[in-house]
Amino acid sequence: MSPQDQHGTRRSHPRSPRHRTARLVAAAGAVALTVSAGLATPLNPAPQRAQAAEGKKTLTVAVAQSVDSLSPFLAVRLLSTSILRLTYEYLTDYDPGDAHPVPGLATSWKPSADKLTWTYTIRSDATWSDGEKVTAKDAAWTFDKMMTDEAAATANGSFVANFRSVSAPSPTQLVIKLKKPQATMTALDVPIVPQHIWKSVKDFSKFNNDKSFPIVGDGPFVLTDYKADSYVRLKANKDFWRGAPKFDELVFKYYKDQDAAVAALRKGEVSFVAGQPALTPAQAASLKGQKDIHVNEGPGRRFYALATNPGAKARNGQKFGDGDPSLLDQRVRNALFMAVDRKAVIDKVFQGHAVEGQGYIPPRFSTYFWKPSASQDLSYDPAKAAQLLDQAGYKKNAAGKRVGKNGKPLNYRVLCHATDPNDKAVGQYLKEWWGKLGIGMTLDCLDNVTDPWLAGKYDLAFDGWSVNPDPDFVLSIHTCGALPATPKDTGATDNFICDKTYDDLYARQLAEYDSAKRADIVKQMESRLYDLGYMNVMAYPNAVEAYRTDQIKSITTMPKAAGNIYGQDGYWSWWSAVPADSGSSSGGSSTGVIVGVVAGVVVLAAAGVFFAMRRRTTADDRE
Amino acid sequence: MTADAAPATPGRLARQRRRQSAARFWRSYRTHRAGMIGLAALVLFALMALTAPLTVGSGVAGVTDAPGAPLEAPSLDFPLGTDRFGRSVLGLVVWGSRVSLLVGLLAAVLSVVIGTVVGVTAGHFKGAYATVLMRITDWFLVMPALVLAIALATVMTRSLGTVILAIGVTSWPTTARLVRAQTLAVESRPYIERAKALGGGHWHIMSRHVLPNVMPLVLAQTTLMISSSVLAEATLAFLGLGDPTVISWGGLLQDAREAGAVSAGDWWYLVPPGIAIALVALAFTLCGRAVESVLNPRLGVAR
Repeated sequence: MSPQDQHGTRRSHPRSPRHRTARLVAAAGAVALTVSAGLATPLNPAPQRAQAAEGKKTLTVAVAQSVDSLSPFLAVRLLSTSILRLTYEYLTDYDPGDAHPVPGLATSWKPSADKLTWTYTIRSDATWSDGEKVTAKDAAWTFDKMMTDEAAATANGSFVANFRSVSAPSPTQLVIKLKKPQATMTALDVPIVPQHIWKSVKDFSKFNNDKSFPIVGDGPFVLTDYKADSYVRLKANKDFWRGAPKFDELVFKYYKDQDAAVAALRKGEVSFVAGQPALTPAQAASLKGQKDIHVNEGPGRRFYALATNPGAKARNGQKFGDGDPSLLDQRVRNALFMAVDRKAVIDKVFQGHAVEGQGYIPPRFSTYFWKPSASQDLSYDPAKAAQLLDQAGYKKNAAGKRVGKNGKPLNYRVLCHATDPNDKAVGQYLKEWWGKLGIGMTLDCLDNVTDPWLAGKYDLAFDGWSVNPDPDFVLSIHTCGALPATPKDTGATDNFICDKTYDDLYARQLAEYDSAKRADIVKQMESRLYDLGYMNVMAYPNAVEAYRTDQIKSITTMPKAAGNIYGQDGYWSWWSAVPADSGSSSGGSSTGVIVGVVAGVVVLAAAGVFFAMRRRTTADDRE
Repeated sequence: MTADAAPATPGRLARQRRRQSAARFWRSYRTHRAGMIGLAALVLFALMALTAPLTVGSGVAGVTDAPGAPLEAPSLDFPLGTDRFGRSVLGLVVWGSRVSLLVGLLAAVLSVVIGTVVGVTAGHFKGAYATVLMRITDWFLVMPALVLAIALATVMTRSLGTVILAIGVTSWPTTARLVRAQTLAVESRPYIERAKALGGGHWHIMSRHVLPNVMPLVLAQTTLMISSSVLAEATLAFLGLGDPTVISWGGLLQDAREAGAVSAGDWWYLVPPGIAIALVALAFTLCGRAVESVLNPRLGVAR
């Protein structure tokens, strides 16, 4: 698991890896686009309905992120884990209203008095898609596998690290014994797999669960077909215990170019576009006025931050990487962030489709949302930033550049994702803001940021994670325990933060079962993280997505009031989507057809006249 | 000192000869209407690029003090609208011409220099050396240049130098082939044999006899190569392989695509840089064709 991948995980934002081929195709189309953009004439005007002929209701979703694996033990990207949510039921789900744990495979659960034994009652009305009954044994086997096989712990190992034993005394009873109290026991985001299918798997690190279809599952949908970077096809599980989905089929179709996906939505080829990570302001604005298209905007689960390299080191104490030593000074880190006008980032880059950054956890999770107090607030103040840098000993030289103790001017490399336009845009602002402070900056935009990131070869980096209703995971990635064992290993750490105070708080919150007290500790952790200045949250981007109302009548957002649809903490959106019964497939683009035909005729006529004239002028030369 | 009083030194004679041939070249070039149109366009673009610091100023690329709102439609204040940061697209296109032309020129020069060196040496030395060199050339020739350039630009840091290098080292094989053919033709002439008999070494033959004879070809090739280099630069920048903080025409197209201007129908963001690229490439091609037909009489049956 690498930062880039993590940045696209279930817990992280849907940033897709690089796709060179798609870009080449886009390049080939570039000239055509340039020419035809002004005309906006659909070359293929007949809208292709996403539905098959004989009344089968299909919901098509445009996606761009590649599937890393369909094995629940390996998959970490947002798309893959969303698909696994649809095909495998978890012990508990999150309520679409306020994200409190609701029954999933488990109908009820209770801890023992010493907080170390948890007993879950497994529902008896759930069946696997091949007809077998879902029992507590399946769940016990799944957890046990993750505890005993290191390869099976790749994706979700952090949940079971503290488990002492798992057993299934009866088909409806699951007992988990812990080493220490664990607050995340009602938020175990682990897909439960059928033991009778999975027990034959030999090597969990290689098995990607994409060979024999349909894939046996117990979620609201059954995976029936998958072709890498082409489509993922699922059919409704009519026997799903919570009730069958309203659509018969759900297809995730690949559009590597976001503009192409938006065009497909306009034409009705797809029912839903989420964008990667969101529709751009221009796209959202142009779709807003369209007939039969609804633009949905909800508070995002993501934070968008500027991470600072704290001097990468491994658990064995060995230092590596080449982060700038001046960044080890907290005053420098704070000064850098104080020169960032977060309001301008919201207004100009996100154009209002984001909320100004405060603490580590987005305001959407109100229980854990924290704001810096007036005294610790690092608000935008370039003058104070300059003062802080002066104090830290980085004074301006004659050329107006701030120099370090070695006499060399400060110049930071900022790692940015070449696939994310927001990184590049914010990077240009940073360059000018820091330039005014006298600090140089090189924007290092790469398609694959993983390698320099893991090697600690960066000074600052654009960072972002999607946060779950239970914040344990995003908090755990900043503990010393998440550091790689040696410089050669890969740790779960986000950017090598290791702070004793923070770690103590982390251990305390994990063992705290009282939710109010736990929230209080989590807020202290956020406060500590804010002061350290290694993770500077600039914004919480909104989810901006669009769907066709003539294909989807209604769909559940999460939170129900003004929430997002794609990448929810659960299967609510696709499970609840109601197809629109209208058959209004054509129309809408007739003006486009007329314009296109007229333009074509004009071009042909002009060409004809031109050639006729040429023939006349060369008449003398011909025989 | 008057002209007739001056002694007819060899240098003076050479200068005179060169002046005459330049005048002859210009007389012949003037008869190519398309070439003149291309030249006029080029002069205009060059003026635009050179005077950009006076007309629009480097401040046009600044994002923090952008004058307009993002993606404004064309108006009197912004004749070509604004980009995603609220900067004037007209100003950006003018400012971007500097990078696009500079990269196009330098990459073309680099490519032609590599091609000439390979071509002349391969044509002169022959034997195993030439065989190996020409096989390498063939290899570069059949490799899709764009893919190779993308690979190069990806592994190296993103900067203008990288783009120049990536274009330069992938586009030289055609020049090498052309120059080698011309070198072979020149070297088979009797005076080369005489020069050798008089003790002219490899360096003397190549620099004094072969190079001046392939120079017209190289000149024409350079002019033609610039247009493809400008296009290649735009392509690489459009694919996001350029330095994102540098304004170029291809980079503007890439910005427009990323901002979703294509599906939003914000044509003013896409069309101006696109047209600028097309015009510059066309102008260089027209000039190159004209130069080619002036210098190579066998091609010169232009209507």
